[in-house]
Amino acid sequence: MRGKDVRLDQVSIRFGDSTAVQPTNLAIQAGEFFSILGPSGCGKTTLLRTISGFIEPTAGRVLIGGEDMAGKGPNERPTALIFQNLALFPLMSVAENVAFGLEARGMRKAERLKRAQELLELVALGGYGDKKPADLSGGQRQRVAIARALAVEPAVLLLDEPLSALDLKLRQHMRSELRAIQKRVGITFIYITHDQGEALAMSDRVAVMSRGKLEQVADADTLYAEPATPFVATFVGEQNVLRGTVASLADTVATVDTPIGRIEGRVKGPIRLGEAALLMVRPERIVLGPGGTNTVTARLAARNLEGPSVHLHCAAAGQTLVVTVPNGPSVRDLPEELTLSFGIDDALVYPVGALAHG
Amino acid sequence: MGSLARAYGRPLASAIAGIAVIWVLVLILVPLGAMVEQSLWWRESKGDISLTIDRLYNDISLIELDREVETDPAKKTAFDQSLAEKQAAIATLEAQETNPPKSYGLANFTRMSGLHFYIFVRTIFYALLVTALALVVCYPVAYVVALASGPRKAIILMVALIVPYAINELLRVYAWLMILDYRGVINGVLQWMGFIDLDAREWIPFLENPSAVFLAMIYTYVLFMVFPMVNTLETLDRNQIEAARDLGASTFRIHRRVIIPHAKPGIAVGCIMTFMLSAGSYSVPAIMTRGQGGDWFSQLVYRQFYESNNWNMGSAYAVSLLVVCTAFILLMMRLFGVGLRDIAK
Repeated sequence: MRGKDVRLDQVSIRFGDSTAVQPTNLAIQAGEFFSILGPSGCGKTTLLRTISGFIEPTAGRVLIGGEDMAGKGPNERPTALIFQNLALFPLMSVAENVAFGLEARGMRKAERLKRAQELLELVALGGYGDKKPADLSGGQRQRVAIARALAVEPAVLLLDEPLSALDLKLRQHMRSELRAIQKRVGITFIYITHDQGEALAMSDRVAVMSRGKLEQVADADTLYAEPATPFVATFVGEQNVLRGTVASLADTVATVDTPIGRIEGRVKGPIRLGEAALLMVRPERIVLGPGGTNTVTARLAARNLEGPSVHLHCAAAGQTLVVTVPNGPSVRDLPEELTLSFGIDDALVYPVGALAHG
Repeated sequence: MGSLARAYGRPLASAIAGIAVIWVLVLILVPLGAMVEQSLWWRESKGDISLTIDRLYNDISLIELDREVETDPAKKTAFDQSLAEKQAAIATLEAQETNPPKSYGLANFTRMSGLHFYIFVRTIFYALLVTALALVVCYPVAYVVALASGPRKAIILMVALIVPYAINELLRVYAWLMILDYRGVINGVLQWMGFIDLDAREWIPFLENPSAVFLAMIYTYVLFMVFPMVNTLETLDRNQIEAARDLGASTFRIHRRVIIPHAKPGIAVGCIMTFMLSAGSYSVPAIMTRGQGGDWFSQLVYRQFYESNNWNMGSAYAVSLLVVCTAFILLMMRLFGVGLRDIAK
């Protein structure tokens, strides 16, 4: 199997008066594991269905492997879609399910069942061909759906939140499994999810989507460390958000007057002196005790044990700062009054207007 | 019963059980039992009984005449004795004539004439044909209704199915009669277009063809075919249709491999209902053919009851029809691989 690249060229999708996807450009490389992450209703499923051919874009072009897909139905595209509820055929056996795409292509029965068996072995379900989907566990059904989609040798595999129905443990297991399968078959995976953990853990690159618009396209590390917009900053991971006004501005560093005092941070958007700004600090970037440029004195309000780490809820000037510290003897008996500090690089400053989602 | 009593308490549980028993008795066992019992006996009403009685009366008159002129007392006593014997015989025979003895057996079933058997077989065949045609007509309708959504669905359902069925069945059959009659709507239109001349009796005799009955019957029973199918089709996950399409299947293959297998229980129920209704329909063939297009078996049953006044024979005919229909149901269930449980859903 060979992956193909997918390109969206000014694709926009409207249903009647409402815009589901705003004009979008996107280039997904061949063989890439690409995730589209966003809250429900952000248009990510619409985008996926557009790539698979169930929806024709209102404007713009979808290109797969450089070929314009306009006017081609889902059965004519080199894509295969894995549905959120998997949509296995309950009345067919597992092997028939996997062989269905080959049957539709007119392959002879013996040949296609042999191929189905190979694919079932690929997803470690070799002995399950005669069973009905209902007899399998959630994770096994998942793998049948993958085998069924792979059977038609797609260049691009589209996955619409296929793990959302599984329980936590299985979901984590399936993440690595999916990633391993993608590495093995080498085709392009486009994965839709609202679960940032899934997106960050599996993907080569992630697109964060909100209100029909791509906010940022980057690899997981960049997305987490350098979110381009306040939406990405708050949607991916946890953030302490402070509102304030820009007191001074120099190149890439801004000083912001916040309720907890003057904080210096890195500028992440077009801001101007005297304007309102948002200041964001990740809980794990704040340390106990002095050290960083920014120092805050706060009162310990609550302490939540999360296992390997501890969340400290600290109150300062009517604001709550969450600090995540590693669990250990030192956090057992903390004083009432805490000194918190973080560096300039740890605080990101955004213009207020950019926080689109309320 | 034990669990019922625990769930609802003893009085309510006995009430529920009682109602269930009465339901089964009144609706199933009693009428069916009466029909089967009726079909299993007949009265030996030999035509020659009356003749024998008449002969005996003649004999008595002759003997009485002989006895009048006889003078020998010994012979007279012999005549008297003979007379008493004959009168006793008349009494028993007359008792037999007014109340013939019941005989039990399967004779009512085996006595069916060749013509009636032919009509029986033909009726089953016609009913199968009606069922098959109705299935072909109704499947697309059911599919469209089931997959339509929102207000569009309500409109399709109302206009296409509910409104026609709010009209009385007889009315609908008579409407088809008017359309297909010699001087009906279709022939009228054909005359208007100049193809035929009704005054020269050049009409097309639609009603003399069994297909007129088929047409009216399909129209009459469409709903019974459509609704069970809609019910099962509605439960089909549409993602399955999309998944099949995405995997490259043609529309025909999607129907054959995904949609029809899912709709099987509904198709089976629809076929069973349509077959039962058309095999047992009296009014549609009676109205549509008016004796011109060949009888259906239900008309024979009617005649056995009300024209031949032979209820036993009529019951036997009715039971035969019932047995064949039941066999058909079982065959359909086997053929479609559906159990009672699927149908109940």
